[in-house]
Amino acid sequence: MERFEPVIIAFVCNWCTYTAADLAGTSRLSYPSNIRLIRVMCTGMVDPQYVIKAFLEGADGVLISGCHPGDCHYINGNYKARRRIKLLKELLPRFGIEKDRLRLTWIGASDGIEFAEVMTQLNDQIIEMGPSRTKLSMGL
Amino acid sequence: MICKIEYEDNSPAKGLQRFFKQLLESQGIDALFLPVRLKDSTSIMPSLVTDPAQLENAVPLGPAFPINSGRMVSRLSYKESGRKTAVLLRPCEIRAFIELIKLKQGSRQELILIGIDCPKALTSSDYMAYMKKNPLDDDAYIEKIFSQNSNNLNGFEFSSACNTCENPFPVNTDINIILHGVDLSAGMLVESGSEAGRQVLENLNMPQASVPENRDKIVTRIKEDNSKANEAMIKSIEAKTDSILKLNAFFAQCINCYNCRNMCPVCYCKECVFNTDVFYHQPAQYYQWAEKKGIEKLPTDTVFYHLTRMAHISHACVGCGQCSNACPNDINVFELFKSVAQNTQAAFEYSPGTDENQPPPLSVFNEREFEDIVGIK
Repeated sequence: MERFEPVIIAFVCNWCTYTAADLAGTSRLSYPSNIRLIRVMCTGMVDPQYVIKAFLEGADGVLISGCHPGDCHYINGNYKARRRIKLLKELLPRFGIEKDRLRLTWIGASDGIEFAEVMTQLNDQIIEMGPSRTKLSMGL
Repeated sequence: MICKIEYEDNSPAKGLQRFFKQLLESQGIDALFLPVRLKDSTSIMPSLVTDPAQLENAVPLGPAFPINSGRMVSRLSYKESGRKTAVLLRPCEIRAFIELIKLKQGSRQELILIGIDCPKALTSSDYMAYMKKNPLDDDAYIEKIFSQNSNNLNGFEFSSACNTCENPFPVNTDINIILHGVDLSAGMLVESGSEAGRQVLENLNMPQASVPENRDKIVTRIKEDNSKANEAMIKSIEAKTDSILKLNAFFAQCINCYNCRNMCPVCYCKECVFNTDVFYHQPAQYYQWAEKKGIEKLPTDTVFYHLTRMAHISHACVGCGQCSNACPNDINVFELFKSVAQNTQAAFEYSPGTDENQPPPLSVFNEREFEDIVGIK
């Protein structure tokens, strides 16, 4: 049987997780190509509708990743992001989108190795969960 | 301070009109804002009244609820007007207004907020249908709601928002008009809820009174009944909308008119993202979507729009039901919203419109909270 290759959208902040991804690249660490990075200036600018849109367009998983608490380049954007993710984790399961398809992590700029590890683990988890029912039901 | 509104000829409706007339004529009140029957019409619309003579058409306690006036009071108060206005609002309108105050879209500085035990409401289409067949006797209506606690009006069911409302009693007001549990043949009661309210009542020189003992019991019973109805409603709507596929079917009649958003008292953005260029898609985009799935319904982004609204403002939903009331295709947006709002409000222990000092949950944060949702374990 053909291996299920999920689509995972990751919103990563410019200052920490995107820099970590860059570091992983320059360190020649590999991570699954199922994960598609979207660089944003701060996790605090990720409107809940970006996540909703990703799921409605057929994403199997969505990751938001930014600076560790206290390290936000804009002082508190990551704390605001955490509240929005909390909100979405209440909202989405009500419509059959499982909680664990949406993830929030803090990965600092110097954590290139951690970045590659987290992406690999996340990919494995989503493969285990199988394709999103939303995607299948919408004929995507 | 609790006073009695007395009236002759057994007409609570006229008694209330007289009370408001006295209020408008009293010192320090420049205008009233309350529901008034429009000239040569059966429509009852919230109106700003400065001439006491106009109050003979006021309908403080009627079944018409065409709009959540919280929004309108926001327009009257977001900047100083230099006038003192007494505004009469339903409990859900007060809650909506308090939410708007938190967003700096209104202020109670120049207002005297008057709350009432909620007189319930028909949907606007039911109200118009009812009025075609029946004349509306304001006194008979008050009797039906507050003495008989009826849940229909000659066969017309009240709005599901009203029948499932767990908070049909006013809080956060300067003055409350009390009806449940009161012997309406002997007059109704008015109570001050703040120092400003007390001063206004003192100026009116009304006879003192006390709240009847059985009121608490009636209040508890109404809350319990509505709470039960609410539970049943939530269960039924959840079963109908527990997947995106079912949600698509639920909104199959939606034409993206955005009336539900326009009439939502807490949908506060000055410019909604759904009105911006972000959703003014390139023609090729539609073809790409169609080619991906073989078919694409137009207008697009319907469920996306509704889910976004749930994410943006369900925490502030006051349960007024105006979203359903405004829908031209009878989609029960309210029931869906309320079922979602219960979860999102519980997640942040947020109770919209009850405490002016409780900040909207998405505008604040604590450094140590919700740590269990971080990480991929």
